[in-house]
Amino acid sequence: MKLLHCIVIAIFVAITSCTIEKTDYEAELNVETTEFITFEEVTSITTDNYTISIEALNGTLYKGYNEIHLKITNTATNENLEDAHVTFLPIFTDANGNKASCPHDYHLDYDETEGYYLGYSVFTSESDSTVNWTLYVDFEDNSELYAVNHPITVKEQTNLNLNMTAFTGHDDEQYFIALVAPQSPSVAQNDLVAGIYKYNKPANPAGTFPDLSQYSYSIVEGHTLLIDPRMPEPSMGNHSSPNNEDLTQETDGLYHGVVNYTMTGNWTLNFILKNESGDIIKGTEVSTEFTPGIDGEKGELHIDILF
Amino acid sequence: MKRITLALLLLVSIVKAQNKEIKPDSLDTVLDEVLIIAAKKAKIETDMKMAVSVDEFLASNANISFIKRGAYAWEPLLNNMSTERSTVTIDGMHIFGACTDKMDPVTAYVESNNLSDIDIKSGQEGSLHGATVAGSIDLKRKSTAFGLSKTWSGAYQSGIEFNNNQLFNLGNVAYSCDKLVAEGSVSYRKAENYSDGNNDDVNHSQFEKFNTSLGFAYKTSELSSLRVDAIFDKAKDVGYPALPMDLSLSRALITSVSYKQFFENSFVKVWDTKVYFNAVEHYMDDTTRPENLVHMDMPGWSTTYGLVSKVNVKKEQFSSEIQLNAYHNLSIAEMRMYPQDRSERTMFAYSWPWVTTRYAGLSLSNSWDISKRSQLNFGGSLGINYNYSKYAEFNWIFHPGAPQEKTRFLPNLYTSYLVNVDGFNFSVGGGYGHRAPSVSEGYGYYIYNSFDRYDYIGNPDLKNEISYEANASAGFKNKKGGLQAKVNYFYIQNYIIGRILSQGSPMNYQSVGVKGYTALDYATLFNFSMDAHYAVMDNLHWKGTLTYARGLDENKNNLPFIRPLSYQTSLHYSYKKLGVLTALNGDLKQHNYSPFYGEDETPSYTNWNLSIDYSFHIKNYKTVFQIGAENLFNEYYSTYADWGNIPRMGRNIFTSLKINL
Ligand SMILES: [Cu+2]
Repeated sequence: MKLLHCIVIAIFVAITSCTIEKTDYEAELNVETTEFITFEEVTSITTDNYTISIEALNGTLYKGYNEIHLKITNTATNENLEDAHVTFLPIFTDANGNKASCPHDYHLDYDETEGYYLGYSVFTSESDSTVNWTLYVDFEDNSELYAVNHPITVKEQTNLNLNMTAFTGHDDEQYFIALVAPQSPSVAQNDLVAGIYKYNKPANPAGTFPDLSQYSYSIVEGHTLLIDPRMPEPSMGNHSSPNNEDLTQETDGLYHGVVNYTMTGNWTLNFILKNESGDIIKGTEVSTEFTPGIDGEKGELHIDILF
Repeated sequence: MKRITLALLLLVSIVKAQNKEIKPDSLDTVLDEVLIIAAKKAKIETDMKMAVSVDEFLASNANISFIKRGAYAWEPLLNNMSTERSTVTIDGMHIFGACTDKMDPVTAYVESNNLSDIDIKSGQEGSLHGATVAGSIDLKRKSTAFGLSKTWSGAYQSGIEFNNNQLFNLGNVAYSCDKLVAEGSVSYRKAENYSDGNNDDVNHSQFEKFNTSLGFAYKTSELSSLRVDAIFDKAKDVGYPALPMDLSLSRALITSVSYKQFFENSFVKVWDTKVYFNAVEHYMDDTTRPENLVHMDMPGWSTTYGLVSKVNVKKEQFSSEIQLNAYHNLSIAEMRMYPQDRSERTMFAYSWPWVTTRYAGLSLSNSWDISKRSQLNFGGSLGINYNYSKYAEFNWIFHPGAPQEKTRFLPNLYTSYLVNVDGFNFSVGGGYGHRAPSVSEGYGYYIYNSFDRYDYIGNPDLKNEISYEANASAGFKNKKGGLQAKVNYFYIQNYIIGRILSQGSPMNYQSVGVKGYTALDYATLFNFSMDAHYAVMDNLHWKGTLTYARGLDENKNNLPFIRPLSYQTSLHYSYKKLGVLTALNGDLKQHNYSPFYGEDETPSYTNWNLSIDYSFHIKNYKTVFQIGAENLFNEYYSTYADWGNIPRMGRNIFTSLKINL
């Protein structure tokens, strides 16, 4: 019987050894993406008796969509300021000194349960040696106005699932589409969330800086974002997925839809933006042909993702 | 892994013995019978060839046809139905292949020298081993009896098939004493590409297979025994000319421990319980196909453990077998596609997203000898089938909201009545049964089918397939010869088959579209076979078989892989120690092909085969030498069930030598 033990063990070792390891699927999904869920302080600004703390996911501002949490503390009383009529304005200066802004929430509302002012900012470029960003924050306490500005750093977004695009629509307006979720998609139905914004063209030339009329952006309301995901890899032959749902606006102001990714890898989200009356603002339909060996289709309006 | 090792160690020390119907009443005769049955000579050979592969042996059964993707591991079709519809077991143990492309039917994991017999049951009569529609194929392992007069026995067989330079060596040895039996077998086959009837090489048709088995039995008391069995099978570098990929490695470990208890003076005759474990791994390889646009890795794993416990009961004219069957299977298949620019991210998905199948069923098979001339057989089973898809999000892409787990009840029933009068025999029977969708049908994800060139998607919401079956047979037999005709008819509700989906786009570059497994309202299948044999002289025997089948879907379109009218006829002549056999077999033109499911018309073909064997003794060891040729006219042909119309083997001269030790 001892011999048998040995033989059975030997066979067992033979079959379990040196085989291909099974893929760790959960780890596979996080090769290219990291999901951040906690808000950490990006920077804090001190003025008079007040400390303004700005928080974002992972304590970093990235190119693209950023949810912003802002807290103002009175350092003398150690109290949080509520209903302080906080305004928030990111300003970008290029090498020639030209100033511009980006889609942002100007009037920040106070969230009592969470204890912070909630806003967002869609940074359209990264900070570098020639480009810098400054934050202008105004608030009010005891009927007194305070205004501060502070340099910030906008970092490159390495997670392509939070990618963004800026374009001029057929109506000659300037639009921005920024992906908000999912941060880390999976081979599944993914709830796709995007913010769609537009630049409100000023009627008059710029006044004294900062002239708010020059930096006004708003959420695009009631439009539809049609989606057609494709794989760009040539050998995938313009592969797509079924059961995707176009993005429509929900009460949070963001656009929600469904995208199905049938496998991991590079994907192109082809979009068509339509207004309330169904007119195309931007985007072209892409071919649905299966074309092995040829790059996947990319329409005039698209965002590339990778997971 | 540790747990499995422990389980295996626990297994060490036991048996399963041969378990055929036990008729005699007294215990002594019961035991004798068992001994006799177990001692029965292993006969996995055909009239034509004594050194056959398991596939070739199965092919000699009129109910079996094959889908062939190359020279190795043919997929057996029972009653013209694919493997999803039949249960294939090894001594009642369930085992499932690990290949999404069906490169590894269960029959590929055994070898002819560790089998004693293959038990094929048509239709619902096969439900004893679990829910089925087509029937069951049970591969019976060799099992040496206790206390044989010859303590040591064995056989060695070697041969060459010249067409593909296949060299094989098969050996087995057994030791038997009053208390202990030990037996083992080893086999090794290696073949190169075969050539077709035009003498052209069929590329990627090589294979290499190693198989070994061990069995130990210990008599724990006068009336009980314990047996441990293990089979290890390894196939390497196997080409599948009809598929876009080959196999680099496939391994299976099949183990069991069984305990058998006989009873004296009781209507319960024997109780046999077995626990088993088997693990299959399967690694496909496309690096041998540089023409492929995409390099893919497609590994698959299938692990099963289970229990079979059965009791044989006999009282007067009534005998029955009660069987409890339970198993748990986990099937995993991955695909990883490499982009042309290898620095880019690979693309990954599961083609079987960790699918668990659990089955538990109780089945009953009864036989009642109403009179000397008539017999009634009836039985059935009731099973619970449970499926769970760990990564159900893959299934939700095509079937949003489909349940992650699903439980099904699978009833099966059958009955048949047999009459035997003066050499004439008649039988009529009927059956009703459910089967659950297979892992691929329920949960498969972008499984590329190179036959119709579609990617297949499973549907977790598929209903049970329900079969209504009627069968009849009539025959006549006397000293000179006999004639037997059999028909069966299946009306299958919710018949599962792939239908083109309007959504989704292909994932595999060779594919032309996406098909989803869908249930037709119904499909019907009709099978007919006729066997005849006649002794022209004492030493000259003739045999003939004719089969015909027809399968239609709900719109009266042909079903795929239905065998056209086929025939087999042979003449065997023996003179002293010499035997000569000549055989003709072929299919007529396939008129009822199914363009809708990717088939084209297959022309008729005929093969002429010839073999000569000579028996002699080397030092008292009985030896048989055989030489023969298949497809003697070197006809170029492919059959209706050759995947992608790959041509079959041209003229093949074979020779083998068998020594019984
Ligand atoms: Cu395979």
